[in-house]
Amino acid sequence: MSHTVLICDDAIFMRTMVGDILQQAGFEIVGEAETGVQAVEKYRQLRPDLVTMDIVMPDMGGIDAVREITKFDPQAKVLMCSAMGQQALVVEAIQAGAKDFVVKPFQPSRVLEAVQRVLG
Amino acid sequence: MDTARYAELFLTESQDNLSAINHALLQLERTPGAREPVGALFRAVHTVKGMSATMGYTLVAELTHEFETLLDMLRRGDGEVSAAVMDTLFSAADTLERAIELSVAGREDEVDAAETIAALRAAVSPAHDGSRGSAGPSKRKKRVAARARVGAPPPVTVTVTQEPDTPMPGVRAYLVLERAKALGTVVDVQPTPEAFDADAFDGCLTIGVDTGASDDEIERVIRSAGHVAKVEVTRAGVSDDAKRIALPNGNGTALSGSAGRASELVAARQHRHIRSDLQRLDTLMNLIGELVITRGRLQQLASAINDPALMEAVTQTSRLVADLQDGIMTSRMVPVWQVFDRFPRVVRDAARALGKQVDFVVEGQEIELDRSLLDEIGDPIVHLLRNAIDHGLETPDERLKARKSPTGRLTLLAARDRSAVVIRVTDDGQGIDRDRVLARAQELGLVETGRAELTDDELIRLIARPGFSTARQVTDISGRGVGIDAVHARVRALGGTVDMKSVRGEGTSVTVRLPVTLAIVRSLLARVGDETYAIPMTHVNETVHVELDTIRHVKGREVLVLRDDVLPLLHLRDVVRLPRRDGQGGQVVVLEVADRRAGMVVDELTGQQEIVIKPFDAAKDGLSVFSGATILGDGVPALILDVSSLF
Repeated sequence: MSHTVLICDDAIFMRTMVGDILQQAGFEIVGEAETGVQAVEKYRQLRPDLVTMDIVMPDMGGIDAVREITKFDPQAKVLMCSAMGQQALVVEAIQAGAKDFVVKPFQPSRVLEAVQRVLG
Repeated sequence: MDTARYAELFLTESQDNLSAINHALLQLERTPGAREPVGALFRAVHTVKGMSATMGYTLVAELTHEFETLLDMLRRGDGEVSAAVMDTLFSAADTLERAIELSVAGREDEVDAAETIAALRAAVSPAHDGSRGSAGPSKRKKRVAARARVGAPPPVTVTVTQEPDTPMPGVRAYLVLERAKALGTVVDVQPTPEAFDADAFDGCLTIGVDTGASDDEIERVIRSAGHVAKVEVTRAGVSDDAKRIALPNGNGTALSGSAGRASELVAARQHRHIRSDLQRLDTLMNLIGELVITRGRLQQLASAINDPALMEAVTQTSRLVADLQDGIMTSRMVPVWQVFDRFPRVVRDAARALGKQVDFVVEGQEIELDRSLLDEIGDPIVHLLRNAIDHGLETPDERLKARKSPTGRLTLLAARDRSAVVIRVTDDGQGIDRDRVLARAQELGLVETGRAELTDDELIRLIARPGFSTARQVTDISGRGVGIDAVHARVRALGGTVDMKSVRGEGTSVTVRLPVTLAIVRSLLARVGDETYAIPMTHVNETVHVELDTIRHVKGREVLVLRDDVLPLLHLRDVVRLPRRDGQGGQVVVLEVADRRAGMVVDELTGQQEIVIKPFDAAKDGLSVFSGATILGDGVPALILDVSSLF
């Protein structure tokens, strides 16, 4: 059975790209979220194996979303998607419970490596 | 890889590690059973090994590998730190230092490490070399091993190297640290997490963690953080900088006064720093020098024009230039420990070679000095220390006979004194044999026969004469006639002074006084004839106007009676070989060098100015009364008087 993924990003472009990378690698995209609030809601609903999380999103940012999701499910596997220069935010996200991170611009191999690490 | 770019970085870092190696060796020699120095040694040697392999310095890598093998054995308690092993370790450190320097200079083929490598190997397998160490397990080894087994597991040191192109290496390092926390209690992280994000972070971190996990398990967990190129697990004591830094003073008596200072030093070393090429700072210094000169000219022009708005702008510019100058000077200042760090080793080696026992204390390590001055002063201090051990301190037997402790006390002190830095080397040895100096001086015709005693002043001036050595025999350490005279010449060239006090039977103290910085000095400008000369203010005591009739003659020499003092009187006109002006009084500058004073008659004093010293080779051209040249505010060059040469 393939792993299920929830993709959270406010940009359609990024959601599509991450989705393509993961789909080609055999993952099943079970949902997408555009805001932090949506991300938390959909996580509760879908209980995906993996969440990719943008840091900056409207209506609750990625870091707060990670915090909420981990509160709900301490085993949640969240991979942060960060832009360059967001070091401090990534550290904060890790402290909030994120398991790993990738840095934009995305290289498919890097994303997949990170996903493998998160899924252990 | 473009290794040339990294060579300098490699050298600087290796020197830091060599310094750590020497400290740890000194501590190990004092406490042969201690674990921390062996751990510190291992880490430092290991670091150099990794760096040298990356640089492609195969000989250094090979040497450090053998070095590491021996240390690893000692760390595991599989060998005794005998005197022979200590010698091997010390000589390995020396060979390593030379090998690193030669390799960086591109002269790796000149490295001769074969003997050292052989000695290291022999120390590792004493069975093949009956003369070294003991083959069987010693009592002490058993004790150490037993102690190691009792109680909590010793912390594990995990050295993690990230892949070279890791994105956000700082955050990745943070993840590594998080993984390490999952293994057990993290007791130490180098660099600290705050420094992960710095540009200088090279993707390499060392974590000390209390864990029961196996090496394999540790590696697996750490690797799960991602982008990890290498994990090395070593089981030893964790890094303890505080102890390592306290080492130079690390014996009982010396530690008492310096424990607090050691922790201050640790704090000082943890400041965030960037490495900057000294040449860049020199360039900045030169530029600010030019700016100071231009400011002088601007001020002159502005006061001639006398426009209030212009004056205000010029005044403000002047203030900014002064602040800028301050800032740049401060950025060139480094604490003296950067050079003093190597002295404990120097003292130890000299003491051993001469069969003396020395308790070496360093005070004022945090005092700051201009980097280029500090570099220059290192060798003279080594001279002074060696001199003190060779000629000052007696052998343990002699000391016991003189009812002194068999261990001599040698102190190196640095302190600020107004705009100068004072460096003083004091020993509690036999003091200078004044009778012998006097006899030698009379033999050379430097002092009139019939004199019974020498003052401290005369003493230093005689000893500082080139070739005036009374050493009974030439040793490797000193006594080749390049002792105090070389120091004196060097210090004078830096604009400083040397002073000496010696009491027979009680000891000798040599004081070097240096300007805090080299490049810019406040000077008094004096005119004779058409020329202006600069006199550094550090040597100016006061200025007085003197009428001709107050000049007296004593024993055919002119003297000035100033209040209750009688000062010898010089004429700047004589110094620069101009005819004297007749029948006129004039300005007298009272000069001071060490504790001596003299008056110097000049035609006119034209002001005070910050001057920028432009070095020139005066001594070579026979003009030894000048130490340099400068360009004044009006663009006219002026020579700078070397005041100490006038005495």
